Amino acid sequence: MLQTSIVPGPAPTIFLAGEMDLDCADGLRSAVAGAARGAQTVTLDFSGVEFIDSSGTGIFVRLCLDLKSQGVPVVARNLTAPVHGVFEMLRVRELVGEDVLPE
Amino acid sequence: MRTVDEMRPDESEAQVAPHGSEAQVAPDDGPLPCSLHVYRYRRAGGRIEAVVGVFDAGLPEDDLIAQADEALERATFMCYAVAQADDFVEDELCFVPCGEHCEILSIHTNGWERHYGDHRRSLIEILSDLAAAVACGRLRLLDSDEIAIEAAAGDEMLHLAIDKPRALSKVRRAVDARLAAEGLDPALRRTTLLPISEAVTNMLLHGGGSGELTLRRLPDRLRAVVCDRGPGLNFLNWIEPPDVSGQASMGYGFKIITENLDVVGLHTRPAGTTLLLDRIL
Repeated sequence: MLQTSIVPGPAPTIFLAGEMDLDCADGLRSAVAGAARGAQTVTLDFSGVEFIDSSGTGIFVRLCLDLKSQGVPVVARNLTAPVHGVFEMLRVRELVGEDVLPE
Repeated sequence: MRTVDEMRPDESEAQVAPHGSEAQVAPDDGPLPCSLHVYRYRRAGGRIEAVVGVFDAGLPEDDLIAQADEALERATFMCYAVAQADDFVEDELCFVPCGEHCEILSIHTNGWERHYGDHRRSLIEILSDLAAAVACGRLRLLDSDEIAIEAAAGDEMLHLAIDKPRALSKVRRAVDARLAAEGLDPALRRTTLLPISEAVTNMLLHGGGSGELTLRRLPDRLRAVVCDRGPGLNFLNWIEPPDVSGQASMGYGFKIITENLDVVGLHTRPAGTTLLLDRIL
């Protein structure tokens, strides 16, 4: 299960904790959509994510691309080892851009 | 057999009762768009037999045998394009020498036509990835008899019926407890658990929405058997978004599965798919 907590504002930070898999899709989309409404930029903090798979990664990629297409920059930070490993394996930086996942 | 939801929260360490059923084989119904076909050529027999799907009578068997002989002779991975009467463009076949026999892989488009984008390229990339995994020995393509034997090998450690994404977390905990009991260190447990979770997710998304996971102990390895009765591996699912997540997988789940495990066995057909996920100890 994935838990989200949000520090609101014009540049909200969404803290993610738990497991990002197929089961988290609706909850994560809803949380990000709410936080991103009218935002200048959105930060996703992965410091609490213990598990992620290709479904969780796909949801993250889709959210990033959707927000960027709406003109809202996204930054992902504090990737844990499991998240970093899967993102590297799936070359996620190439999909979402270095602005989202800086080196 | 019980579903995951029938397990107690503290039961991840507990033995799940034997169920008496193994990965079962149902009859083929018919092809799907972009289904995998695998043929096997043995020099000794001098003919080609179907491993996954049925041998297409429209294929030039003599040409395929010549290509397979050459692949075996040169011990080289080879590709060959062949036109199909019902296909919008030529099908690509990959010839992968495997010791005394040659595996021949093809994604048959079954007359499916693209509507947008360059899906053809994606299908060829998928086929190449599959063939490369076979060539490296990480992927074994098994026929009905082989999968029935191998899916029942060893001693059962855990068996679960799974029918909803909400169960994924519990499934991972139950499997992780077994892996820990077998003495796998945390890093190896992580790289074993991830591909098992991927396979179960694929089963939920593309395998008819439900299926079974069995963890088995063989003398030299742990084996997870993930079995569904869905419509079989359809590669359109890899390039077009499924309904549930709205996100095309592009075969990422498969990449995670083959790159994190020692050996993967696959049997797929229109009546279901079975995966064997092996961690050698």
